[in-house]
Amino acid sequence: MNVETRRKVDDLNAMVAGQGGDGSLTVANLLGVLLGRRGFQMYTARDVASRIKGGHAAALMRGSIASRACMDDELDLLVAFDEEAVERGGRWLAEDGIVIFDASDGPVPREHLPTGATVYEVPFARLSVRDLRRDLFKNSLAFGVLTRILSVEDDEAGDVLAQRFGHLRPEVAEANLGALRTGFAYGDAHGLRADAGPWILDSAPTSDRILISGNEAVAFGFLVAGGRFFAGYPITPASEILSWLESALPDLGGVAIQAEDELAAVNMAIGAAMTGARAMTATSGPGLSLMQEGVSHLGSAEIPLVVVDCQRSGPSTGMPTKPEQSDINMVVHGGNGDFPRIVLAPATPGDCFELAAAATNLAQEIQGPVYVILDQAVSQDSVTVEPFDLGAIEPAPGKRLSSDDLAAMTEYRRYLVTDDGVSPWAIPGTPGGMSLVTGNERNEWGHVSTDARNRTAMLDKRMRKIEMVRDDLPLGHRWGDPEAATGMLGIGMEVGAMEEATVRLAAAGMAVSGLQPRTLWPVLDETIEFVRSRERVYVVEHNAEGQLAHLIVSVGAPHERLRSLLKYDGIPFRPGELANLILEGEGAAR
Amino acid sequence: MTATYPPATPIWCAGCGHFGVQAVMLGALRELAIPAHEVMVLAGIGCSGTIQNNLGTYGYHALHGRVLPTASGVHLANPDLTVIATGGDGDGYAIGMGHLVHTFRRNPSFACVVMNNGVYGLTKGQDSPTAQEEGSASGFDAVSLGLSIPGTTFVARGFARWTDQLQMLMVAALEHARARRGFAFLEVLSPCVTYNDTYPAWDASLYDLDADAGHDPTNRAAAFVTLSTLGAEGRMAVGLIYSNDTTGPGDVSAHPATQDVTPEANAEAYARLLSGYAV
Repeated sequence: MNVETRRKVDDLNAMVAGQGGDGSLTVANLLGVLLGRRGFQMYTARDVASRIKGGHAAALMRGSIASRACMDDELDLLVAFDEEAVERGGRWLAEDGIVIFDASDGPVPREHLPTGATVYEVPFARLSVRDLRRDLFKNSLAFGVLTRILSVEDDEAGDVLAQRFGHLRPEVAEANLGALRTGFAYGDAHGLRADAGPWILDSAPTSDRILISGNEAVAFGFLVAGGRFFAGYPITPASEILSWLESALPDLGGVAIQAEDELAAVNMAIGAAMTGARAMTATSGPGLSLMQEGVSHLGSAEIPLVVVDCQRSGPSTGMPTKPEQSDINMVVHGGNGDFPRIVLAPATPGDCFELAAAATNLAQEIQGPVYVILDQAVSQDSVTVEPFDLGAIEPAPGKRLSSDDLAAMTEYRRYLVTDDGVSPWAIPGTPGGMSLVTGNERNEWGHVSTDARNRTAMLDKRMRKIEMVRDDLPLGHRWGDPEAATGMLGIGMEVGAMEEATVRLAAAGMAVSGLQPRTLWPVLDETIEFVRSRERVYVVEHNAEGQLAHLIVSVGAPHERLRSLLKYDGIPFRPGELANLILEGEGAAR
Repeated sequence: MTATYPPATPIWCAGCGHFGVQAVMLGALRELAIPAHEVMVLAGIGCSGTIQNNLGTYGYHALHGRVLPTASGVHLANPDLTVIATGGDGDGYAIGMGHLVHTFRRNPSFACVVMNNGVYGLTKGQDSPTAQEEGSASGFDAVSLGLSIPGTTFVARGFARWTDQLQMLMVAALEHARARRGFAFLEVLSPCVTYNDTYPAWDASLYDLDADAGHDPTNRAAAFVTLSTLGAEGRMAVGLIYSNDTTGPGDVSAHPATQDVTPEANAEAYARLLSGYAV
């Protein structure tokens, strides 16, 4: 093979797939470590069934020298441990893709693969059982073949294995190294010589980046903004927030508690929040449905709480492990009655960290509910990003009264009607600050009241709180050509694919301007202005109703300029897919 | 002196058992000399769910059925507060039943006072889970339920008319919680004179365990037998039914509500967490 014909790989899209729970995804970890050492930035996702063991399970990863926030259109590499993996992954494989197939039970089903694909049929399970007497070592074996394909030197592959398995008992680590050598031997026998594979893995200088998921970043942002109480109930895809805070909070004097259900979770958080702890709960659609009376209560009783919704495919139990953005209506309009609320919608882990911190502060400022909404992909996919700026976050106390403040006042009314709508409050335990807190309509003292004038004044007071903070709400993220007549608008997992589609459309001669509204409710003027100043705006969202488009139309965006690009099959948009949809749409418009 | 909210006048009907509960609650707080600002009374929805307005302490009106998780949150956020979760049998035993089981199980150190009258008074007379047909046993017995849960450390029952005993039980419940021994559950039989006047029936049938020299409140199994035996006769026991002082505090000592959350005070811990994500 001529060196010139070998492909230099600086953007690798790979899928490792097999049956869930058998550990076959470890090879994806090994590839991740290798790519990290080579200065690649990672985007990693999982495609799993909602069960503990068994069922198709795949690790998807994209390693790029450039920063990416989504999977690309096609897979370059497929490591398949069974036929189902070939069937599912084959449809995404590039024409010049490479497949490593576990041929222990027979040859690869070629009909699922593009004709140009190269396949290495390795009897992994057989080789590892024969040479190592353990099926479990097939990951290291597969990694040995993989590094030969990528022209990675054997020593470097060995270093990666040592880095990944360094914590294991020496005999286990040694057995994995043996499996790796078996992989090399397979390579030697099948034309994959050391440092002379079909692909050459690129490298770039490494820097001190982090690899983190959205759920972890949300929990972290809440913590740094002073969050010290969390109550939750396990639910996919939000559970990582509970487990992260169960691990982090106790050391910092905080409390994380697993409640008996979502009703208990939101009310435990309410109790802690009104006692003065900066508090949060997190759930997904079905759990959030149960929490709706709690959210309405937060708005009425004026209690600060962050509520995280990691959206998954609905309605009802839906598809628990698949992403969707179909709770927009619920977070913006759910809960009985009129009450002030804020909804923030991050896209990247950095965004999740910042907006969770912002939400924690905003909740204190408005003494009410602040949502942070993610989707399964934003929640659970891990991405390489710049380290979070820990020094940039300052916990905002809101308007609180100390015992000294109280002593200087002649009277303290918990629900005092003020110009900005915020009533300064004293937390329980403060001498002189005794108060009545209720979700019923009440007078300034907290006594229940159905007086008509009081009612109007109280509801108006509560709604004014949003106007007070409106100018401080997080502005949107923009990209592309700001002068473009065509726009693209979306939140969460759409953002990475939209950004990459914009680059491709620009290369094809089409200018597009993009906006990710980071504050979803209230809808900011900049969002409406973005639509008004363009001929057409494609609203990209994962739901069947076009909930985001309806939302912005409801507050003044001209509907005739909007085109909805909708998807609700549980699979994220790919950048090429979006670019094509926009090219088609623009073609039709001309 | 800063003026705060004026305590409200009770909304209850003349003769309502809740008057007795309120008098005893105030009496117990006075007897233990707990300042008003250190007390948080959370109440549910219903006639009983207005008691917090009348006391002068910190007061909270919970969502229907959610008093116990809310009180758990308050207690965990600031364990120094004396927390009383209160409400009626509809709130506690119907819509909020699930939480009662789990609160017994977790054993957080606060007091719970359920005013049981066997009826939904505020909504005008519907049956509650403890509604009794004439001459039959109670539809549901929360005290027996509490005894059946291994984590339970304190269960008692009082009668709103027997205020001396009730105050003793209220003080015992508050002391149990304040000593961080766990969840102190006190059911008060508190008749609704308008929709379900059980004064005569309870006057005639209640069995005072505190007057029974043979009753050992540290013996869970014996208490269970006593309740079952009485139940078979259509009677209920009042008094200190079970109190276990040997159970350690199932409690956190942290104070999430009052700690220093400035970045400066926590910089090292935050940086350590971040370094765990380095690639």
